[in-house]
This record gives sequence, C-alpha cells and structure tokens, in this order.
Amino acid sequence: MEFHDDFPQYELRDQHDEAEGKKQRRRLWNVFWIMLGITVFELSLGSYAASKGFDKTALKVIFISLTIVKAYYIVYAFMHLGHEVKSMKWIIIGPYTTFILYLVFMATVTEGNYSAVHKVSPPDKVYAMPTPAELEKAEATEHEEAAPVKTGNAAEGAKKE
Amino acid sequence: MSDHSSTDYPANWGGGVSPLKVSYGKLFMWFFLISDALTFSAFLSAYGFMRHKFSGTWPEPSKVFHHFPFVEKELPLAYVGLMTFILIMSSVTMVLAVEAGHRKDKNAVLKWMFLTILGGFAFVGSQAWEWFHFITGTEHGAWKDVIVDGKVVHQIVKGANLTFNEYGNSLFGAFFFFITGFHGFHVFSGVMINITIFIMVARGVMEKRGHYEMVEKVGLYWHFVDLVWVFVFTFFYLL
Repeated sequence: MEFHDDFPQYELRDQHDEAEGKKQRRRLWNVFWIMLGITVFELSLGSYAASKGFDKTALKVIFISLTIVKAYYIVYAFMHLGHEVKSMKWIIIGPYTTFILYLVFMATVTEGNYSAVHKVSPPDKVYAMPTPAELEKAEATEHEEAAPVKTGNAAEGAKKE
Repeated sequence: MSDHSSTDYPANWGGGVSPLKVSYGKLFMWFFLISDALTFSAFLSAYGFMRHKFSGTWPEPSKVFHHFPFVEKELPLAYVGLMTFILIMSSVTMVLAVEAGHRKDKNAVLKWMFLTILGGFAFVGSQAWEWFHFITGTEHGAWKDVIVDGKVVHQIVKGANLTFNEYGNSLFGAFFFFITGFHGFHVFSGVMINITIFIMVARGVMEKRGHYEMVEKVGLYWHFVDLVWVFVFTFFYLL
C-alpha cells in the first residue's frame, strides 16, 4: 500500500452536501438555545439565591452539573467529538474527565472539608510585597539568627565525637 | 518476518492510514488542547484551594462584579453573563463556518468567520471593561491595613492591584488577573489566528487545497476557549 504523508481522505471525510448541512445547522442552533437557556437559568438562580438564601451545597451541585452539561455540548456538538471513532473519543475524554473530577473535588468534597478544619480566620490583613529595604533587613536578621544555631550544632557534634 | 504486501493489509495494520481516522493536524490540535486544559485546571484548582483556605476574608464574586454599562442599579454577574453569551454566540458562528467549509461554500465560511472575529473582539473588549472597573474600584473604597514603606498603615483602599484590593483577600485580585488574563490572552490569540485563516480563505488557499480543514482546526481552538470560559464562569464567578 502506498504511503501518504498527507493522507487526503481524513480531511474529506466530514464533507457533506446541502441537505445534510441543513440538518446539521438545525442541530447546532438547538444546541445554542439549550446553552443560552442554561446560562440564563444559572444567573437567575444565582441572584435568587443571593436575595432569598439557598442551600450552599445544593447550589454548588446544581452549578457544577449544569457546567458539565454545557461542556458536554461544546465538546460533542461544537468540536465534533461525537463524530469521531470510539478510541479517539476516549483519548480526549479521559484526560479531560480527570481534570474536571479534580476541580469538582477541590470545589466541593475534599478541600471543602479541609477548610472547615483549617480555616484561616480574619483579621483581614493585607499582604503587600516587601520593599527592598525590608528585604535587606530580613536577610540581615536571618544571618544573625542562623549563625549561633550553626555553632550550637557544631558543639553538639563535637560532644558526640 | 512476513513481508507486508498490500494483500495482508486488512488483517494487520500496516501503517499508511490513521487508526483514529483523523488527520495528524487535527489530532495534534486536540493534544495541544489537552495540555492547555492542564494549565487552566491548575489555575482553577489553586483558586479553589486558596478560596477555601482564606474563606473568612474571601469576597463574594457576585458582590464584586455587579456593574453593567449605562445602568446605575447593581446587577450581580449580569455583565459576566453577557460575556458568556457573546462567547457562546461566537462559538456558534465558528461551528457554522466549519459546517460551511464541509460544503466548500467559500462565501459562507467568510461570513461566519467574520462574525466570529467580531465576537472575539467584543469579548476581549468586555473583559477590558471589567478589568477597568475591578482596578478602579468603588467610590467609597474600603478600610485596609496596607504596608507603606515597611509600616502597616490603616487607610482607605480603592480598587485592586496584584498586592491588595478593597474587596477582600489580596489573593482574590491576583487570581482574577491571572485566570481571566490568561483566558483573555487565549481569546486574543484565537482572534489573531482566526484573522489569519480568514485571509487565507479569502485568498482561495483552501479552495486550492480542496478542503477547509484548517477552519476546523482553528475552530477546535476557538471552542476550547469557550469551554474554558464555561468553567471559569462557574468556578470563579458563580460558586
């Protein structure tokens, strides 16, 4: 079989005629209306929750699941991953799923629990970058503090010997 | 051992064709998008971690981003919603350009790509507007301890920069600039790439090639930018 470095078939694989195009365009606009509906719903739910009060965890779960629905539509309909072969789909979806699961755990499960235990409470302190003068001062004091410790260790070492 | 002649091709994969049935350009665009997603998930997970750690002083994004052009009333996150709408809209025009490319309809490709480029500029402009309001801040500002010349000074702070902001924890401003800035730079690059491909299509390069796959490849990048924004919208603004 002759080897083609730039195999033309794959580029031509998705080409279609006007009738098929019409069908695809209708599907794409449907996806657009779904996405728009989801975004409007998210915003109105957010403002409703801000004014009336809503269970925080339930809100998080709703927002994250709607985000995943939107991501599904973008990747499958807009990026045409739904039309690719099965192995191609899994090569792309596998890593993405890993990242998304990590984000979800970070936002809800593990780190949410961590923060409940190790919460950094106010005072509302502002951390500014140290000025050059401050840095110099800090370095000078570091050396002063470090010096006696070193001699102490040396003395201990000498005793052991 | 056995000579790979064309006759035993169906039984054994002998090369020359892609098992994934995609061209190498498209495949590597996907691989690039995966590695890019790694960077963005690093940003967003670091944000989530810091937000929980400093949840006592972390501001509510809906109370920070409530400006809307020409509207005096506070509309929480309405402008971010509009930006999301602009980006999803430009994603739709991009996918319509890809669809027109599959029909080899040059004029339709140009029309939809032009609208996509407009949408991209509109989004970058909206982000500039939002940055402006975040940086200049509110009229009244907020009392903060700020270090000036090595001394802690209690003073009114207005707006935000990388070291402090009036809304709450200083990290909030830094994360805002990094996450939306990195995403905005992606959008800007996407617009530049779209313009390049637009010019190539207009000059008939794709027509000569016999296919419009280049439009599909930049389309993949453009949809990825939209995909990232969907996650930034949820994990930075909504939660």
